[in-house]
Amino acid sequence: MDTHYEGRSKGDPVQITEDEAAVYDRQIRLWGLEAQQRMCNATILVIRLRGTATEAIKNIVLAGIGKLVIYDSEEVKEEDLGAGFFFRDEDVGEKRVDAAKARIEALNPLVTVQALRHSTLLEQGSLEALIMSVDLVCIKINDICRQFGKSFYAGGTYIWLACSHDYISPKVTDQAHKEAPKNVKATASYSRLSTTLQLRWIGLTKRQTKELNPAVVHIILGKLPDDIDATSELGQVANSILASSDVNRQVLTSVPPDLIDAMSTSAVHEFSPTCADILKALATREAPIANFFTFDGNTGGGSVCRMSM
Amino acid sequence: MSSSFMNGARNTSSRSTHAQAILGPEFCERLSETKVLLVGAGGIGCELLKNTVLTGFGHITLLDLDTIDLSNLNRQFLFKKKDIKHSKAMVAAQTAGAFNPNVNIQPIHANIKEAQFDIEWFKRFDIVLNALDNLDARRHVNKMCMAAGVPLVESGTAGYLGQVQPLLKDRTECFDCVPKPTPTTFPVCTIRSTPSQPIHCIVWAKSYLLPQLFGEDEDGTGELDEAEKQGENAEEIAALRREALAYKAVRSALRSAQTTEDVAQRVFKKVFHSDILNLLSMSDMWRARAAPTPLDFNAIQEGTFSIQRPSNPSTTSGSAQTTHFQPANGHVNGKTPSTSSLSNGVSGLRDQRALSLHDTLELFISSTNRLAERLRKGEDTISFDKDDDDTLDFVTAAANLRSAAYYIDRKTRWEIKEMAGNIIPAIATTNAIISGLIVLQAIHLLRKSYAQLRNVHVQFKPTNPLSTSTMCPPNPKCGVCRDTYTTVLCDPARVTLSELVHGVLGDNEREVSVYEDKRILSDPDWDDNLERTLESLNVGRGKFLTIVDEDEEWGTIVVALSILPPNHPSDGPAFILPSPLPSPPRLEKQQSTPPPAPSRKRSAPDDEIVEVGPIAKRAKIDTNGAASSPNIASPNKRRRLEEDGLLMLSSKDDKIEDDVIEID
Repeated sequence: MDTHYEGRSKGDPVQITEDEAAVYDRQIRLWGLEAQQRMCNATILVIRLRGTATEAIKNIVLAGIGKLVIYDSEEVKEEDLGAGFFFRDEDVGEKRVDAAKARIEALNPLVTVQALRHSTLLEQGSLEALIMSVDLVCIKINDICRQFGKSFYAGGTYIWLACSHDYISPKVTDQAHKEAPKNVKATASYSRLSTTLQLRWIGLTKRQTKELNPAVVHIILGKLPDDIDATSELGQVANSILASSDVNRQVLTSVPPDLIDAMSTSAVHEFSPTCADILKALATREAPIANFFTFDGNTGGGSVCRMSM
Repeated sequence: MSSSFMNGARNTSSRSTHAQAILGPEFCERLSETKVLLVGAGGIGCELLKNTVLTGFGHITLLDLDTIDLSNLNRQFLFKKKDIKHSKAMVAAQTAGAFNPNVNIQPIHANIKEAQFDIEWFKRFDIVLNALDNLDARRHVNKMCMAAGVPLVESGTAGYLGQVQPLLKDRTECFDCVPKPTPTTFPVCTIRSTPSQPIHCIVWAKSYLLPQLFGEDEDGTGELDEAEKQGENAEEIAALRREALAYKAVRSALRSAQTTEDVAQRVFKKVFHSDILNLLSMSDMWRARAAPTPLDFNAIQEGTFSIQRPSNPSTTSGSAQTTHFQPANGHVNGKTPSTSSLSNGVSGLRDQRALSLHDTLELFISSTNRLAERLRKGEDTISFDKDDDDTLDFVTAAANLRSAAYYIDRKTRWEIKEMAGNIIPAIATTNAIISGLIVLQAIHLLRKSYAQLRNVHVQFKPTNPLSTSTMCPPNPKCGVCRDTYTTVLCDPARVTLSELVHGVLGDNEREVSVYEDKRILSDPDWDDNLERTLESLNVGRGKFLTIVDEDEEWGTIVVALSILPPNHPSDGPAFILPSPLPSPPRLEKQQSTPPPAPSRKRSAPDDEIVEVGPIAKRAKIDTNGAASSPNIASPNKRRRLEEDGLLMLSSKDDKIEDDVIEID
């Protein structure tokens, strides 16, 4: 079961029942029945199950997506317990996805959860198939972004691209180190915001298929900071996406720092301009409910970042 | 047990690897000793509990008076369907406890305003985190924290929006430094005679008609007397009086054991026909506004009813408009077509469909009969609850029938539930973001990194989803945090007001007025109460006495009352004064502005106070039989109207003074 993805049935979209609507009442009042309906019919792939993913999964599963596919090939480590509330002490050593699956399902019995754990899944062929079969992908770029560059290309699906800060090699000076705590703390909260954004975006997925969104792609390309190693790689990814942008697709970029991984303060700093720019680009979009927000703090000068200090 | 804890020590270091790196080992160690109070285990509370547990706050007290409801489950992730009707605090503590075995969670199913949660109790905590959903409780906790000098992080969310505000006495603004917007209010006559918007009809149905028919038996004339005094239209008041009398007859019909079929019709004819005719008899009222149309029960039932909206009274030549009450699906006054005709893709929820006037009438009949049946089966009174289908159906039907009579747009059951129930949309993600931000601000407070405190707003601007602002200093005129707080431990049955006040003032004897909340207990010209015990004045544990200097030379002293320590000898002194005694600041002479609170307005000695403003949620009883909050005084009509923020004023010119209307 875990070596391949069970393609979802592409039948008629599921209609939300009155009983389900009662559970989702408080959010249907926010984003409307249609958005809820689309969410209920969405399949979302989350790659890697760590701190940010845990938060994101909680929020999208509670919100009532149709199906969640989680991929992680690793075992629960003790330090995962610090932010991973799907894990317990006795899970240490188990595969992450195995430990978490039942607890994720318990969050919302209306959501189907599939766990994938074989590392071969990230090989080219199976990955393409996997991505093609879902509506939205949430990944950590540092893990597999290179491989993904082409997968995106082939996928023709909507991709939510999450750039993690730990991607950048930290250059922590003594002084920077002093500041580490607050910066990193800020990232914790940011990651939660990013999950919100993800959620909203999901709500609008289908409608958005009809419109190209080259602006975002372009921004990813154009506005990345040049002076970091990470930038070029990110740019590469963005490039390849752009190359295929004659297909209906969306690329959403966010900078959700991983609570667990974001140990590097400099990383937080370096990436924030990216975010600010993306936000700007997004603002020009015609978006009923902001399709997504991306943001980061801690530029030290930016309006967003100050909150964390 | 202790050995397993020792075993856990190794795990602890691993579990907290990241926290240690981020926060530093020293602070992590401190966190494990930290005592935090979380007030509220709802949307924000669940997320916040998770965060504090994972971050490693060692001792968490979680308090909530509420029980779990189906509509909580889309965001309160610590709860499952099987937990519905159980205590939120208990279930949340149990679920989140498993996230980190090194943390001790103490759940309390109770109302934070109970006397047992007095100042001494608050002082036990290193920090308080609010996750509340009503103004009343927020203000209460703010005051307790200001009195106890405990740092507080205040928070709130609504849909995609949210905010976090760290509060610390003398360092930052307190929650009450900035006046909060007063709840929307409607003049009585707008609700009772001249509605012009859907909300007027909804308020009428929920807070007037439903209680009139199914609530406590009140003659309701007090309100009319009051309105008359306020100079409202005397003729109109007289008409409302006739209306009140007629209610008595209908009320008893609803409760009598005879067949039910006629009762709904009888209610209908009284409320939507006779009462409207009665109002129409006052032609003055309708000179400048469209006179309502009495509804015809039989015609509506037969589908032949239509309403002529009179032409605009100010332009006599206009032609009359006919309103046919065409529902969205195009059936004039007809019965709802079968759902198959709803073929426009998204079919909408049952509650979101517009009802025809005919269907509205049917809903009125059936809900009236259901409610009457409940009365006959022994329910004493029935009050509105958005989750009680019978009451929601009744309010939906009655509000829409009234809207029809007044040519006002009708609302769906879905919309009326939201408006009458004051539902604020809520999602997990906003709550999660806010909860993360609360913890960050809490950490600043615990570290005393005051320069880093920020008010944070989660907003709906794509360009700036999170905005922050630096802290403002306390408002020098704030009636809550500018006062000097002190604590007296006492036996209220044995200590007199005079003893206590003189004890607290010590050598600084001067002319003062003494208040309990907004209630005046003594002033220099009125000393009747001074020799009475606190208990006889209904002042005791958990309450505050406010001592205001008559010459406004000294700052106000607020005395928080708590109980004598358990080891206090029974024949010992009746109270223990603080040491040192409070030393309020000397105020600038010639200060022209009086202290903003408490109100200095003197009211009758046995003053009756009508609380207004959003009323705190009532405790629901845990099905496990766990402790629940004390009774809330029997609401009178005015108060009912005011529940959930719908405040009734007698006239538009009425002033709201600090959330309280004093009745002389």
